[in-house]
Order: sequence, then structure tokens, then C-alpha cells
Amino acid sequence: MTETITKTKNQTKTKLVIDIAIFIAFLIAMDPRSSGIAVHEWLAVSALAAIVVHLLLSWDWIMQTSRRIIGKSNSQTRINYILNWAMFIDVTILMLSGLVISKVVMPSLGINLPQGFAWRSLHDLSANVFLLLLGLHTALHWNWIVDTVKRYIFQPIGRLFSTSSRKDITA
Amino acid sequence: MKTVGRVLIILIAFAIMMGITYSIVGASSSSNNMPVFQNGGERFSPNREQHGFRDESRGGSGFGMLFGLVKNSVIVTMIVVLVALPKNFLQQKRRAVPVRIK
Repeated sequence: MTETITKTKNQTKTKLVIDIAIFIAFLIAMDPRSSGIAVHEWLAVSALAAIVVHLLLSWDWIMQTSRRIIGKSNSQTRINYILNWAMFIDVTILMLSGLVISKVVMPSLGINLPQGFAWRSLHDLSANVFLLLLGLHTALHWNWIVDTVKRYIFQPIGRLFSTSSRKDITA
Repeated sequence: MKTVGRVLIILIAFAIMMGITYSIVGASSSSNNMPVFQNGGERFSPNREQHGFRDESRGGSGFGMLFGLVKNSVIVTMIVVLVALPKNFLQQKRRAVPVRIK
């Protein structure tokens, strides 16, 4: 029982750290004119690995909701599930179109793909849609974000200050 | 072993989606006779610097990177405020409604 609670706590912490990393990485990668094309492309490729870890950590929720989605599930879970699928499809389109029009990653691997205007416009469109979906995803998980940040970031910092002030008083 | 299997499932899902997208875009661009360039069609593109465009490949300064980060953060924050606040307000209202006992 205690082992399961510790495992869940560790998973939640890992999830929070990875989610914050993905969020910041996407915010930087979303503006290639500011970050530069090399940073934009390599950051996006590494974000793909982080997304796989994010999906692995949410695996139980994905499986449970996939089984219940047609029958017993409330409207918020359904909206969340549909939004997550939309995000998955959009991020796949975003990554693929990005790889096809790549100027750094694919040429560095010795691959030169034939490019077209369609891929460029698809990349721009999917990036704009992704920013919207990212906002919605964050909004729907806002309560979880606030609770987890309080529990794993603010409370330990607060405890650190309270113990140090107690030490000062006793000294 | 379980994790490796799950990773494989996720990667297969990615590959299927990419395959579908690639075939759809390939089919639509060939039916529209859209031009296809090798190496990004740089030979045909105008001199961007000369026409007042900034070269994306060079990247911006630290300030520019910060501006991009702030701009996207503001967009996400606006969406969060527009969705999360009304959602929480409705949830609190629903909780506050007293339940009638017959």
C-alpha cells in the first residue's frame, strides 16, 4: 500500500517536471524567428521523446477512458479524451511536416526530402492549431496543475523556510 | 517489457498517422500540380535579406527569444483564463446548490 502511494507520488512528480519541460520547449520552439531554425528543429525532435514519456505516464488513464468512453463517462472526460486525440493527430502532422521541410535535422542525417508549398502551409496551420489545443489542454488540467505545483513545489519551499526560521529561534 | 510494448504501440500510432498524412498531402499536391522543390527551393526563392525579410536560420537575440516565449505564453494564458475560470465558477455554483430531500 505504502509502496503504491510512493510510486504514484514519484510518477506525479516526474509528470509535472516533464510537462513543464514540454510546455517551455514548445513555447520556445513555436517562434523559430526568435530561437533560430536549429534550436527550433532539435527542440521539437527532443520534445517528441518527451511526449512519448508523457503518454507512458498517462497510460492508465488512456486505457481506462478508452474502455469507458462509449458507455459510462461524464462530459468533461469525453471532451478531454477527444481533445487529447486531436492534440495527438495535430502534433503528428506538425512533426511530419516539420521533418519534411527541415533545413537542419534531416540534412544532417543525409536525407533530402522533396519539399512543397503544401507542407509549409500545413506546418504553419498545425502549429497555430497546436497552440490553441495546448491552451485548452492546460485549461482543462488547470486544477491538477495548481494542486501539484502547490504540493510538490510551494509546500516543500515553505517547509524549508519554516524549519530554518525555527532553527533561528532555537539558536 | 511492458513499457517497451507501450512505447512500440505509441510509435506505431505515430507512424500510422504520419503515413496517412503523407499519402493525403502527396495525393492532394500531385492532383493540384503544386511545385515540388529539392533542398527547400532555395534556388528559386528571392534574396530574403534584400527584400526586407529576416533569415530564420540565423535566429534572434536573447531578447527576441524572450519575446517569442512571452507572446506564446500570453496566448496560452488567455485561453486558460477564458476556459478555466468559467469552468471552476460553474463547478462551484453546482456544488453550492442545496440538494432537496423528498
